[in-house]
Amino acid sequence: MASKAGDWRNYKRVLLPPVKDLHRLDVYEDHGGYDALRQALTTDKWDPASVTDEVKKSGLRGRGGAGFPTGLKWTFMPPVNPDVPRFICCNADESEPGTFKDRQVMEYNPHLVFEGMVLAGYAMTIKTAYLYVRGEYADWITHMERELEKAYAKGYVGENIMGSDFSMDIVIHKGAGAYICGEESSLMNSLEGRRAYPRIKPPFPAQKGIWNYPTTINNVETFAHVPLILSKGADWFSSIGAPSSPGPVLYGISGHVNRPGVYEYPSGMLISDLIDEVAGGMRGGKKLKAVVPGGSSVPVLRADMIDGVTMDPEGLRDAGSMLGTAGMLILDQDTDMVSFLRRITHFYHHESCGQCTPCREGTGWLENIVTRIDEGEGNVKDLDLLIDLCSQMEGRTVCALADAAAWPVRHTITRFREEFEAKCRPSLVATHVESAAV
Amino acid sequence: MPKITIDNRIVEVEDGDTLLQSCLDEDLEIPHFCYHPAMSAPANCRQCLVEVGMPRVDRETRERVLDEDGNPVIDFMPKLQTSCSMKVADGMVVRSHRTSELVKRAQKDNLEFLLINHPLDCPICDQAGHCPLQNQTYKYGPEGSRFEFRKVMKPKNIELGPRVVLDGERCINCTRCTRFTQEISGSHQLTIIERGVRNYPMTPPGVVFDEPYSMNVIDICPVGALTSKDHRFKARIWEMSQTPSISTTNAKGSNCVYHVKDNLVMNVTARTNMDVNEFWLADEDRLDYRKFNENRPEGPAIGGQAADWDAAYAEAARLLQSTSGQRVFFLGSALSTTEDNYLLARLAEHLGADAPAYIPHIEAGHGDNWLRTDDRAPNTQGCERLGFSALDAEVLKSRLAGGDIDVLYVMEDDPVGEGLCELADLEGVKVIVHHHHTTNETLPAAAVAIPAAMAVETVGTFVNCDGHAQRLRPAKAIKGVNRTLAMEVGKSRADLHGTPFDRWYTESNMVDCEPGWVSIPAIAERVGLSLSYKGPRAIMAELSEDNPAFTGATYDAMGESGVRLDVTHQPDTHTQTA
Repeated sequence: MASKAGDWRNYKRVLLPPVKDLHRLDVYEDHGGYDALRQALTTDKWDPASVTDEVKKSGLRGRGGAGFPTGLKWTFMPPVNPDVPRFICCNADESEPGTFKDRQVMEYNPHLVFEGMVLAGYAMTIKTAYLYVRGEYADWITHMERELEKAYAKGYVGENIMGSDFSMDIVIHKGAGAYICGEESSLMNSLEGRRAYPRIKPPFPAQKGIWNYPTTINNVETFAHVPLILSKGADWFSSIGAPSSPGPVLYGISGHVNRPGVYEYPSGMLISDLIDEVAGGMRGGKKLKAVVPGGSSVPVLRADMIDGVTMDPEGLRDAGSMLGTAGMLILDQDTDMVSFLRRITHFYHHESCGQCTPCREGTGWLENIVTRIDEGEGNVKDLDLLIDLCSQMEGRTVCALADAAAWPVRHTITRFREEFEAKCRPSLVATHVESAAV
Repeated sequence: MPKITIDNRIVEVEDGDTLLQSCLDEDLEIPHFCYHPAMSAPANCRQCLVEVGMPRVDRETRERVLDEDGNPVIDFMPKLQTSCSMKVADGMVVRSHRTSELVKRAQKDNLEFLLINHPLDCPICDQAGHCPLQNQTYKYGPEGSRFEFRKVMKPKNIELGPRVVLDGERCINCTRCTRFTQEISGSHQLTIIERGVRNYPMTPPGVVFDEPYSMNVIDICPVGALTSKDHRFKARIWEMSQTPSISTTNAKGSNCVYHVKDNLVMNVTARTNMDVNEFWLADEDRLDYRKFNENRPEGPAIGGQAADWDAAYAEAARLLQSTSGQRVFFLGSALSTTEDNYLLARLAEHLGADAPAYIPHIEAGHGDNWLRTDDRAPNTQGCERLGFSALDAEVLKSRLAGGDIDVLYVMEDDPVGEGLCELADLEGVKVIVHHHHTTNETLPAAAVAIPAAMAVETVGTFVNCDGHAQRLRPAKAIKGVNRTLAMEVGKSRADLHGTPFDRWYTESNMVDCEPGWVSIPAIAERVGLSLSYKGPRAIMAELSEDNPAFTGATYDAMGESGVRLDVTHQPDTHTQTA
């Protein structure tokens, strides 16, 4: 399979363009900032419905991990009723291990996010927007608050934006540092001041969201795309990268590469291009062992599985993984996969909210067993038990954290089983069974 | 009403009900922990998973798609669904553990998870024997455990408040207790703290779990995480005989179960009655049981000297006949049954005395519009409906002072202790007292003292503040041999004869007393009035025929949940809930 990213070597960055001090409002304005919003609010070019239509037409899919079509999500909002408040919320509770792209947007191009949120609010006729940022991003919270204040002062947010009759407030809310708050229904509970337990769906946020009012929640990067789509057009957007999931993508590359970082390129990049060229190749000239393409919860791919695999939902699905957040973990030949899995299971054990039985109890059990294997005390039958426990967790909880905890275990074991067996205690009984002739 | 198919059985269900409740209503058990009919369903225990399918509907015609045989095509949902959070819909097809291996497996898996960090200290756990986790594990759980690690350690023996003790390790995080304080009592005194497998319920900083309904969380806790500070480690559930009855601490008449071992009341728990107390019971109703065990009298007395029953009855009869009826003052009691008060009224009438009065037990400000009332007596309504009037302290005092009273007949109350008169006021008055306790302050003045059975030892009827007539059932035996009581004990207990661990037949802890419907007829007979009824059942049958204020209140009609009496006869008194 070939790259779907076209001439990516000459790609011009739009989300994180190479402009010095772009986070400053004056610099942002000099580079066309808030033009899309001005056009929407002060000219006849965009009415609310056509903004949604344009986003729908662009083919933008959510960048928070699930990849749901953004425009379609916006149409789930019920018709406007002046007596019923409605909200949008920007999910900046970026907590998946291996994912750090939203932080870059907030640091280098915060006004693009604000502009996207106001445009989304305009499209869905919303007066209040929340920006929920994880507590650990303390520096970026103060940074965003400072920039938001400037946007307020300049009338890009607040009452009668740019002299139009559209008003919207943005409220920055600081999380307290829990992975589960990135789950949208948990996030809403947390925002309301409740314990961040995920809610049962349905009802979905568009029906009952924040304080049980209609709510749309999108990722930081998703909102950041919106002004670009309006100013450059849906056709421009959909022509970039993989047709099924077009547009620029922020690839967060970490691990054993020479130049880890966040890179903006079209969707549908070859994994091999991203490693060898974008990230400068493997560190120390070592050989690639495995790639986790979309944050720690997606299935790991062996080095021999990534030939011709592109970074888009379909390409990764066919390869046996998922796009997730496009936060790629690159592991070299020296990586101990058991130890790697141990760290991942520890994370999900630590972050399970404890609401549902299978996840609360299962995540800890998984970590216990993987730790035992990693310390050389495990038995080969533990591997089957691990797979069994994954089956007992997957799809049986309110939210997807149990799945996110079970997938890495299931796939790391099935794809690197010999490494796990090698770390287990040797069996006292010969396990090699001749297939008997029937 | 929607029709749904559960395990190949078609049942009609209530629109808007949850699937779990519909199954329970049909007596189809689905294991569950977090669901409680009175509270929201968080679907967090994940035990009630079932397979759910809906008929396929044609997108164009909106009609159900049929297969070749003309049966609707059912599309099952890809994941198992929690039946507690799923609303029923017409045509829904459900497969539970009875018909689905998948569901069976899921329930087993879930119980395995629930048990890995559960301490399994059932041998020393108060919940063992009536523990949903234990019962459902036996029924649906795995046979062993594959968990070979150290269990999670959590705080134990934590006093959340003055009455409830937490064992964090036993907790399965169903959140029933926190939801009770949020949705039912509204005190918000409990919340879940920590995260993941370290979760457990706790009070917020600086808050004590001391609301007057705190002990309900012990009843609804599906494990032994929340136990009663008062009752814990005192008796195993299977050592106590359980008798459904009603509580006596206030006029609400909340339904409860008395747990009795060796004729001592050990514990009181809530009993569901949707017309009275729903699922709940106030803490005061649960803790006010020692009065049934302690300071109880031993046999009758004449002039402070122990006497036998015959002599006491004869002496009472002699005193009653020693003066004219007009100079005998009868005090009925809001603490005794309607039947006993009725018999007393008949006796008073026979002697030509005024109708009895009763002592009101009002504690202003105690009521809370829920299960506690200002009235601290259980049967004020019963007295009022019999035409008794509340006793005015001034009236009694002036009549005593004026020498109008030769004989004061007190049934199961304490005019001196209640402050209606002084012992000195009773000098020269012949006092006959039916008393519950040796601490009764009228006793020193008693010419004849007749020990009376309490609410847990007798058969009778209380009418609550809302006019709800309910039956009392004998939970413990008394020394007096009585066929009616013995039969009623046998019929009332949940397991008919009581548990073999309860040695109710031994004399220890039996009180030498008699119910009013035995002692009053015995005295009446000696003054020439025949009050021979075949027990309180017959008395109430007569009352429900003759007195419109009690129409319909027969024992059969009252059953376990009582009868709401005609409101037009509801006297407008201060006995109403505050």
